[in-house]
Amino acid sequence: MDAPALRPAGESAVDRARFEEFLIAEARLLDERRFREWMELFTEDGTYWVPSVPGQASPFDQASLFYDDRDLMRTRVERLEHPRIHVQTPPSRTAHLVGNVLVEQADEAKGEYVIGSTVIVVEYRDDAQRIFAGRQHHRLRRDGASFRIVQKRVDLINCDSAFEAIAVPI
Amino acid sequence: MRNGSAEYIAKLIEPGRVHRNVYTDPDIFELEMERIFGRAWLYVGHTSQIPQPGDYVTTELGRQPVIMTRHRDGSVHVLINRCTHRGAKVVNDRKGNAPRFTCCYHGWSFDTDGRLASVPVPEGCAAGFDKSAFGLARAPHVGEYRGFVFANLAEKGLSFEDHIGPMKRNIDDLVDRAPAGALALDAGMHRYAYNGNWKLQVENVLDSYHVPFGHASTVNKQGVQFARREGDRKGATVVETEKKQTAASWKERKSYIVGSGHGWTSNTALDEGKRSSPAYDEYRRVLAESVGAERAQQILTPRLHNSLIYPNMSIMGLNIHVRVIKPIAVDRTEVTIYPIRLVGAPQAMNFGNIRLLNVTHSATSFVQTDDLEAFARTQQGLRSRLTDWVDISRGLGDEEPDRELNATRGLATHEMVVRAQYKAWLGYMREAA
Repeated sequence: MDAPALRPAGESAVDRARFEEFLIAEARLLDERRFREWMELFTEDGTYWVPSVPGQASPFDQASLFYDDRDLMRTRVERLEHPRIHVQTPPSRTAHLVGNVLVEQADEAKGEYVIGSTVIVVEYRDDAQRIFAGRQHHRLRRDGASFRIVQKRVDLINCDSAFEAIAVPI
Repeated sequence: MRNGSAEYIAKLIEPGRVHRNVYTDPDIFELEMERIFGRAWLYVGHTSQIPQPGDYVTTELGRQPVIMTRHRDGSVHVLINRCTHRGAKVVNDRKGNAPRFTCCYHGWSFDTDGRLASVPVPEGCAAGFDKSAFGLARAPHVGEYRGFVFANLAEKGLSFEDHIGPMKRNIDDLVDRAPAGALALDAGMHRYAYNGNWKLQVENVLDSYHVPFGHASTVNKQGVQFARREGDRKGATVVETEKKQTAASWKERKSYIVGSGHGWTSNTALDEGKRSSPAYDEYRRVLAESVGAERAQQILTPRLHNSLIYPNMSIMGLNIHVRVIKPIAVDRTEVTIYPIRLVGAPQAMNFGNIRLLNVTHSATSFVQTDDLEAFARTQQGLRSRLTDWVDISRGLGDEEPDRELNATRGLATHEMVVRAQYKAWLGYMREAA
């Protein structure tokens, strides 16, 4: 995605805090392994995309680390709840840090927004700790007092490297 | 080398068991790089990755960096990715197109067939310096079958035909699914790694015994796996729910061995009659139009599930992909998964295949991740010095000839295929290179 145009200094962004709070709450659900509630943040046609090459244009003609619609998300979450998921025995513990939040697009009339942010995830499991980092883009739709996710895209800085098993969403 | 003698190596393999040192001994690993990866036919890549002159991909054969190139005369070359001057890796990108390859260090420049094209400041070359002797080293033997390129790094050994002959029908089985009769490996790749020996992945690709247990987390309360193919309503029945045992249909699956370490498993019974979606129905129609209804029906009735072309690649038939196994160290392995596009199939069918592969065999997938856990735990368990042997005796003595397929047949939940791999392993390993 293109970098957003820089705003002149002093011109305030559209109420950034409410988006920031939403992203923090989303990250909290993942850290607390409340995957079903996390899934419910997505709209019925929502997608979760983690490309496997930098700047990937399409999730259809190329492999992706994740490209889940709600159906695949449900299968993923059911598996994460399964007692015999070996790759989560013991489970991962994660800490997400979301920062550098920018409102990149805002259509108040339609209630649609694109929020850019930087995410760092530290994952610990079975005596090993590793770090993921990248830029996120959340395409959000206003839903009552809050938002729902139309698409969450995470561009990891090492998206094209060889990974050991990644069992939980980034 | 401490552990290189033929006597020592022969003692590691017995009819129904393997000594743990074959997975854990760094000396054995070094010998494997020399004696197996140095002289077996190894899968390099697919010609669809380099369609145009100047196209190249880089990969590794064992631990050796190589470039597969398309020269301007259309020929395919497998070159060692190492400057003949002072040794720097010449090409650093995973893929690309270039008229020449120029080393970053002193600027030696090589043509796409490996020939040394130019040397900066040539007047400094020693008297008698012969440019023609300084081309990039090349694999002595390269063979191709229906786009699949293999190379042999040894001067002498098995002919390409003897290597690939018994597995041609397995390649045909996949390629024939494409209405245009060709595959394209142009949909990127998945890369995963684990802290375990490379043979753990090789053994696993034909292991039907592990599925109901190893992949329990992918099976629902009705004993059925999630739908893994475009047009499927549900996946295979792998567990009988009432008895909580492996399903009868699963136990009846067959496996086959041919040649040196190669093999395949027969397909799981899936409900082919009910397979339907707009993309799949359109694909079936296009295929029938291209090859005739009867032949299309044959092609769409799966017989082969997974095929292993020993030692470093497999063709996976359910969630179609090519898998390449790269040993890094005795306890570290990287695997590359290439999605396959069936040329001539409707875009939606190919997109469906690519997309489902994300959840079956990527580093984040529902299936592969539990295997990676098993590989890592196996490597940890094999540190134990009080139990030296790994048991691979299931079905020992139950093998039978299959004259129609010119192969040896056994049950897929047996371990015949692993024993065949170790027979091939021993064949390579007991003789000095």
